[in-house]
Parts: sequence; C-alpha cells; structure tokens
Amino acid sequence: MLIFDELKKNDPQLRFLAMVLAGGLLLLLAGLWWVQVVMASKYESHLETQSYRTVRIPAARGKILDRNGRVLAQNRPRYSLSLYLDDLRLPFYLAYSNALKSARAEQRRQIADREKRLDRSLTKAELRQFALAPDQLKQLHDQSRFQVADRMVKAVGQWLGQPLSLNETQFNRHYETRLALPYPLVSDLNEAQIARFEEQYPGGLGVELDLQPARSYPYGTTAAHLLGYVLRDDSSKEGEDAYFNYYLPDYRGQVGVEAGFDAELRGRAGAAAVLVNNLGYRQTENVWSPPEPGHDVVLTIDLDIQQAAENALAAHQGPNARAAVIVMDVHTGDVLALVSSPEINPDYSANDPARLADPKLRPQINRATYENYMPGSIFKPIVALAALENGLNPDEIYQVQPDPAEPWHGCIYVGARKIKDTVPPGSYNLKRAIVQSSNAYFIFNGLRTGIEKIVRLGEKFHLGQRMNLPTRQESPGIFPTEKRIRSDWRDGDSANIFFGQGEVAVTPMQVAVVYSAIANGGKVLWPRLVERIEPQDPTTGELPTIFPSGVVRDTLGLRPRSYKILYEAMLAETEDPEGTGHAAPVPGLRVCGKTGTAQVKDEHGQLTRWNYWFASFAPYENPRYVVVVMVESENRGSGGIVCAPIAHDIYEAIVKSERADVPALAEQRRGVTAN
Amino acid sequence: MITNPLNEPQVKVDRLQLVALGILMILGTLFVYSATMANASETLKPWYSQTWFHQIIWYLLGLSAGAALCLVEYHALARWSFVVYWATIFCLVAVLIPHVGSMRFGARRWIDLGFFQFQPSEFAKLAFILAMANFLSRPTDELRQPANFWKGIGLMLLPFLLILKEPDLGSALVLLPTGLVMMFVAGTPGAYLLKLVGGVGLLAALFLVDVLFVPPGRWQISMQPYQRDRLLVFFGRDYTHFASPNATPAELQRLRQRQLDDEYNVRQALISVGSGGLAGKGWRQGTQNALGYLPRAVAHNDFIFSVIAEEEGFVGSVMVITLYAVVLFTGLRIAGQARDRLGRLVAAGVVTLLFCHVFINIGMNIRLMPVTGVPLPLLSYGGSSVLGSLIAMGLMQNIYIHRKGY
Repeated sequence: MLIFDELKKNDPQLRFLAMVLAGGLLLLLAGLWWVQVVMASKYESHLETQSYRTVRIPAARGKILDRNGRVLAQNRPRYSLSLYLDDLRLPFYLAYSNALKSARAEQRRQIADREKRLDRSLTKAELRQFALAPDQLKQLHDQSRFQVADRMVKAVGQWLGQPLSLNETQFNRHYETRLALPYPLVSDLNEAQIARFEEQYPGGLGVELDLQPARSYPYGTTAAHLLGYVLRDDSSKEGEDAYFNYYLPDYRGQVGVEAGFDAELRGRAGAAAVLVNNLGYRQTENVWSPPEPGHDVVLTIDLDIQQAAENALAAHQGPNARAAVIVMDVHTGDVLALVSSPEINPDYSANDPARLADPKLRPQINRATYENYMPGSIFKPIVALAALENGLNPDEIYQVQPDPAEPWHGCIYVGARKIKDTVPPGSYNLKRAIVQSSNAYFIFNGLRTGIEKIVRLGEKFHLGQRMNLPTRQESPGIFPTEKRIRSDWRDGDSANIFFGQGEVAVTPMQVAVVYSAIANGGKVLWPRLVERIEPQDPTTGELPTIFPSGVVRDTLGLRPRSYKILYEAMLAETEDPEGTGHAAPVPGLRVCGKTGTAQVKDEHGQLTRWNYWFASFAPYENPRYVVVVMVESENRGSGGIVCAPIAHDIYEAIVKSERADVPALAEQRRGVTAN
Repeated sequence: MITNPLNEPQVKVDRLQLVALGILMILGTLFVYSATMANASETLKPWYSQTWFHQIIWYLLGLSAGAALCLVEYHALARWSFVVYWATIFCLVAVLIPHVGSMRFGARRWIDLGFFQFQPSEFAKLAFILAMANFLSRPTDELRQPANFWKGIGLMLLPFLLILKEPDLGSALVLLPTGLVMMFVAGTPGAYLLKLVGGVGLLAALFLVDVLFVPPGRWQISMQPYQRDRLLVFFGRDYTHFASPNATPAELQRLRQRQLDDEYNVRQALISVGSGGLAGKGWRQGTQNALGYLPRAVAHNDFIFSVIAEEEGFVGSVMVITLYAVVLFTGLRIAGQARDRLGRLVAAGVVTLLFCHVFINIGMNIRLMPVTGVPLPLLSYGGSSVLGSLIAMGLMQNIYIHRKGY
C-alpha cells in the first residue's frame, strides 16, 4: 500500500515526514472516532436540546353524561386567531433593514452637521460616538418587528370588524420566551367572526385560525355542584413527561365530579416537538406521542328529575334560597338528583366574584353533602324504629301534659328541665305523634327505650360518618358515639337528640341514605353518583368501568312489622288532615314523609334561623324514590309549608318521567335485579 | 506476466493523485451546495450566481492554471521564484494599507479586484515554497553555513510576519512547519533544526503562558482580542479569570456570556460532527447547517468539514481523510521520485503545507486545534484557496512529469 511503501523507503527524511503525516492523520481519525462514534449520543442530545422545543398537548377531556346519556359537560371547539411569527420573518427582516437604513442616514446627517459646524472632518474617536450601540440595534429590531406585527393585527381587526391592538411588552415577551409558538391574537371567535375572517383573509400572512377545546356545560348551572368546575392547570400528572418547554392550555377539575374523576376525564397528555432554527423560529412540528383522550363519566343523575328539582326549589324559594335536594333510588342508592342552592356556574370565570364570596349565600358549598344540619323532627322515625324494636306498643297512649306557661301547648319535664312541645296537650299514640310531630311523645319513649339503643341504630345508619363521595365536598355530620354517651351525658342531652336537636347533625345526603334504608326494608346503601366510566370512542373496544349499584353498607336487621307501623304513620303525615306534609303527594303516588324544623342558634343562644326539612319516600306500596328537601331560612315556617311543596313538584316530575319511559325503566329494573 | 515496456504508453501524470483530487472536488461541489442551499436567499438566486457554481468555476480555473503550470518545466518556474516571492510580499504589504486591502471580520486579508476578493496569503504560501526550495536546493555543504541557515529563516519569517499582521494566525503558522520540513528534507544539519524547533517551542510556550495566565496589564503581548479569546476558548480558560478583582457580578456575567458566544462556533461544529454519528444523516439532511446553528458565514468555507461530517458521519470523515492521505502520500512518492533536490523540496513543501491545512482545519472542527481561518483544501469554498491548492497540485504533477528516468 501507498503509505507503507513510503514508510519503508530508504530515504530517512521522507520516511520521517511520512511517519509524521501518517501519525497526524491517525490522530485526526482517532479524534473523529471519539467525537462521532464514542460521544455521538451526547452530541445528539445536545442537538436535540438546542433545536427541539417540546410542547405538551393536553388530551381531549372526557364528557360527563346523565344516566340517559345526555351531555352535562363536554368540550366545545373554541376558535382563536394566532400570529405565526415564523411566517413573518421576511417582513420582519425587511422592516428592520429599512429602519437600519434610515438610522444610518440619520447618523450620516448628524456627522455631516457636526463636520460642517467644526469645519473639519471628524476623527475616528469622534465618529465612534455616532456608531449604533448594540442595544440601539436591538431596539430597532424590536420596534420594526412590533410595527410589522401591529400592522398585521390591525388588518386582522378590520377583517373581523373589531378593533384590535397589540400589547408591545406582551408581544416582545412572547418573542423572547415563546418564539416557537404562535402568538395568540383573539380567542373564542364567534361564528360571524370566523366567517368574516375566512372571507376576507387573503392567506399567507402568518395569521391562522386555531382550534382549541374549551369546557362547556350545555345545561348551564344544572347539577353544577355535582359536576364541579375546572380551572386552567397545565402541569403534568404522574406518569407523563414532567418537563416541557411549552404548555398548551389544559384544565384540572377543582371540585365535584370534575375533580373526583379528574384523572379519568383528563386522559394522558401527549408531546409534540417543534424544530426551531438558531433564532428560535419554528421550522417543523411533529407529534412524538399523541395524547390519549380522557374517559366519559356517566352519572346516576336523571337530568329530568334534576331539572325538576332545581326548578321546584327556585319556584318556591327563589334563586337565592339556601337549600338542598336529594332524590335517591331506594334500591340502588343511585342519586337521581342532587341540588344545592344557590347555584354556581360551572363555567367558573362566569361567576360573579362578589356573589361567590358572599358569607351568607356561600354558593360554592355543596349543601347537599358538605354542610351539617340539625335534623329536627325528621330524626323521629329513627327513634320510633328503635322504640318499636324494643317493645313499644304503637297504640299505647301517651298523655302530653299542658305547658303551665302556654296551656294550649304541651310540654315534658326531663329532670327539672321543661321542654316545650309544639303540639296541643292530649293523648298521642305513635301515629298521631308522628303526624303532629310531638316532641314529648318521642322524648318519653326515647328515654324509655334508652339512648344506647338509638345510638346503636344511628351507627347502623352510619350517621356521623363519611360515605366517600367522589365530589371532594363531604361532611361526616355529627352523631354521638356509644363511648360519648357513657360519660358526662344527661337525660337532657338524650332528650334533645330524640327530637333532632342537640348533638346531632346530618347532611341531606345522609338523610337520603337513612330514608332509603327505611324505605327498602333495612339496607343501608352506599350512595352511587357515578354509574360508569367509558371510553369516549366506543370503537376502541376498551370496556367501561361499571360501578356496582345497590352496594349494601349495613343492614338494620329490624322486624318488618316495625317498618310497616312506621310507613303507616308517615303516610298519615301526608294524607291525614292533621298531617303536616299534605302538600307533598301527587295524584297516583302515595308518599310517606316526615317534616322537620330545627332551630339554629348562634353562640349566644340566640335563635338565628330554622332548617326546614321534608324527608320522604314513595310510592307507599312499593317504595322506589327518596326525596329529601332541606331549606335554610330566617323566616318562620315549617317543613310542611316550606319543603313539602317542593317535594310535591319533584314527585310530579318523577311520575311524568316514569310514564314517559316505563319500558326503559322496567328494563333497567330487570337489569338491576339480574345484578 | 511479461510485458513489453517499449510498447507501454508512458504514464505522464500521477493518475492516483488526480483521481483523489477529482473526488475531492466532486465532494467539494456537493457539500458547498448542501451548505449554501439551506439558505433561502441563496436558492432565490439564478443557478449561475449560486455558490456551488462559483466553486465549479474556481475548480475549472484552478485546473487550467495547474495544467498550464505543467507545460513549463519546474526549473524554469524556480528561476522566477524570487520574482514571484517578492511580488507576493508586495501584495502582502499592499493588503495592510487601508483602502487597498479590504476589511472583513476585523482582518485585512483581501484585495478587492471587483470580480474577485484576492487573498494574497494563499499565493504567498506557494511563492514561499518555490523560493525556499530554490534557496535550499544548493549543495548540502552550503546549508551547513549559519549564514545560509539564517537566510532561510529570514525567507520564512518575512511572509510569516506580514500574514500575522493581517492578522491571519492560521495561515502564518502553516508557514513555519512547511519551512522547517523543507529545511529538514534539504539536509540542514539536525543541530540547527533542533535549536530552531526548541527556540520556537520555547517562544510558543512563553506566548501561551502569557495569553492564558497573565492578567491584563503591561506584561501581556498585544494581539487581536478575538485571537486571544480563541486561544482561551481552545484551552478552556475562563474569561472571568482575567476580570479585575473588583468586577461586579454583572460584569462577570457579561464575560461568561461573551465566552459562551465565542465558544459558539466550536460548540456548534462539535455538535454537527458528533451528531453525524457513524453513518450520518444523509446529504442535505443535516439540521445544524440548515437551521443556522452552524453559522452560515462559515459553514461553506472554514467549517465545511462539519457539514460533511454531520451529513455523512464517521464513514464520510474516513473517506475524506483517506482521500487526503492518497494525495499526501502520492505527493511524498513524487518527492521521492523527483529528479533533483529542487523537485524533492517543492513536493515535500507542498505536501507539508497541504497536511497542515488539513490537520488544522479538521482539528478545529473537533476541538483538536484552536479556531483559525485555515480553509480545507479543495473542499472549502473560496477562490484563492481553490486556485492555490490546484496550482500547488499542478506543481506536484509537474515534478512527477519531469521525474527520474523520464
């Protein structure tokens, strides 16, 4: 070979030279081997970091549907106009070179001026003062760029028929930090604007129509407390790439189902890589990992009943009522309606901040699950059941004695303390005591039964305990434990509990579970808010996750006779002329109910307001629905006057919707029993 | 196999070398194309104004000039060598005069002839080789005289200092090994050469110590700031080392930023070469150049090797080095076969010059050498460089044509 020929030659000088050359070339080869083969991956990653910008692409958020597939929350396309700066590079450059030219001309003019004044040519040092400093050049760059962009934006404004202007600092900041991304001009265009733009835009000027998803709630504020709301949050969740150069707008649920099922709704964000040049302008874009769309969440809510409940509340108590309604299927624990008033707009930014901050209205609170309320008389059925189980003869007459101060009202003495009754003095059996809601009767019989028995029954109803709702707004309520009643506990404390005052508080949701258990013969169910989670695209073949219905949390283990006696009494509450809940029933539906009124006192023992209740189930013959209505009010009234009419409207809607889809419901019921 | 040497046509030129040169020129055209056509404004020009086409024209001109040189025997050329030498010295002086030499990137290296930016240093190198060879081709005995040794050194230092003044450190520096090798090949006594190498080495070491470690002040050798910076970058010295002790954090930050900016070319060249990997990204597929990370001003000339290495990978690098090896070793063969000491010296000088260019240029792409404006012969875009290289090759073929036994 040529090289070895030269190395072998008997020509010492040339041989030496050949050795040096061969050595040098080998050194180069070794260096190249090191850089291009051994260290190649390091330089490749350098190349990637300097020339790729990663962008997080949020996945399409899943929908939230009612039990019949009606969409309660979805994504609607939101069109926005963006300025693609990379397409404007040439205009930027031309504007800059023009600006530079005029700056230079100005500079020459000044020099000429000075020379004329001094009548000599300037020295080098003097000329240097006129030179353009780097920051002057940068300013020229910024200005000319801004002018080009601003002209563009003004033109877009004309096409849209809506004056637009460009914020200079914002634009420059975008240019410096987010150059690889288009500059957002106008977001959320309406259809007319889109049409005008499409019609007038000549194209090729760096302005593009972009599409981004926005969360929308087709039924407005319906079921808002259950749905919750989302806020802008671009951060990555676990299992996704944590770091991106840029983030596209994404949302995260804050409360309600949006928050509780955020991971499922959100899906998995994807990543795109934008190839940028040395100045940071976008060259090409490709998707490294496509986003995986989120799943749809199907609620147990029935939109018709939900809306009927909301309308009933608003119709009877106005939009600022502080109230809650729960409608529950007594066999499955499915929540068919969950209303909390005052309403909140799930499109969070559309809410009036002053209203959100109102300390009395507190619209953000889900009153159906997140507030403790004293139950008042709606607690009495629990006392009745405990007493019946422990040998109370429902027909036994208890004489309510007159109150010496107000002889037309009854009263009872517990020790030395006198507790007033709202009913007139006279003889009461269980039925009459329920219908008229006699405190004295239930205090007498409660004490006779014993507080332990009632607490034990209350624990079976899981009062004072959470039910793991996915909405993040849940209160456990208050209920004494067996340990609590063994120390520092007096008969007066028990007496308070027996008519639903004192150391007991519940959420409307807990009341619904209690009344469902009474109505279904003793099964304390886990309430179900979400029926299933299913893929957005049914063709993927992915199976939906179904949450089982009618999951029993506890059984009461009471005799059927006790329920029967109680049903009769509760039916009389709505049907008896003396009953307080007679506003509730609707033709063709017999309702068992119990009204209640709890007095709420402030820390000084001053009466501030009342909690009015109506807790009920229907139909009497074969209970299927529980309707619980709770209204907070400063106005004197009663559960029967305030709440029963609302329940009436809801039952009416239930009857109507049952009539509308009897076949569907029948089928559904078959499905449930098959489960 | 028995062949009849009389019937065999005489091989007049070194074909192997010509083939290697031809391939290098094809590669040069292809990669100058690749390096320049990534620039949108270049693609807008008519084809005959595009850089790659100019490069072809320079190749053709260079080939003609080289071929023309072969027509005249090199002894005749050598007789004119001192005229050429002083003519280029004159040009090198002229370049330094404002309004004659044109300024680019802070250096006066070019004479603007309107159609052509003439770079005298490229031709001075050749003139130097010819003159030096002519001078050294005297009998070996005379070379033992110190006077002749110092004359040779003077012959070398004159263009060296003038080119250094431009400033063009790289081009100036290649003269030193070329001259030294020629003296060595000519048979200058080893003792002289050792002293010379030792002296130069010592000076270079002192120079580097001064540049790298001496804080600014009266002990620092005056040189262009960018030259100092390049050396600092190459040896990985922090600029902040030279900041005054009471520098504010902002000033230090500015220095660090300046260092980052100065390291930019080297860093980008390394990323280009390294990211090419084993097989490269394919012709015109390199992103470093296309996206402008490798500065457009140098991608097609001083840093053309980065483009080749990124697009053709280690395989391409090996190919380029192999081609240069062929040219260099055929050159050495020509030196060995030369009819006389003159031919041998010219060939050895050209080979050394070429090697220095290749080594420094490729070396600076992989941070083996500091960045200097030394083009890669025949691959880099540039009229003077291409003309100079092809004329040098013409000289080489001239020596081969008039070799021993012909």
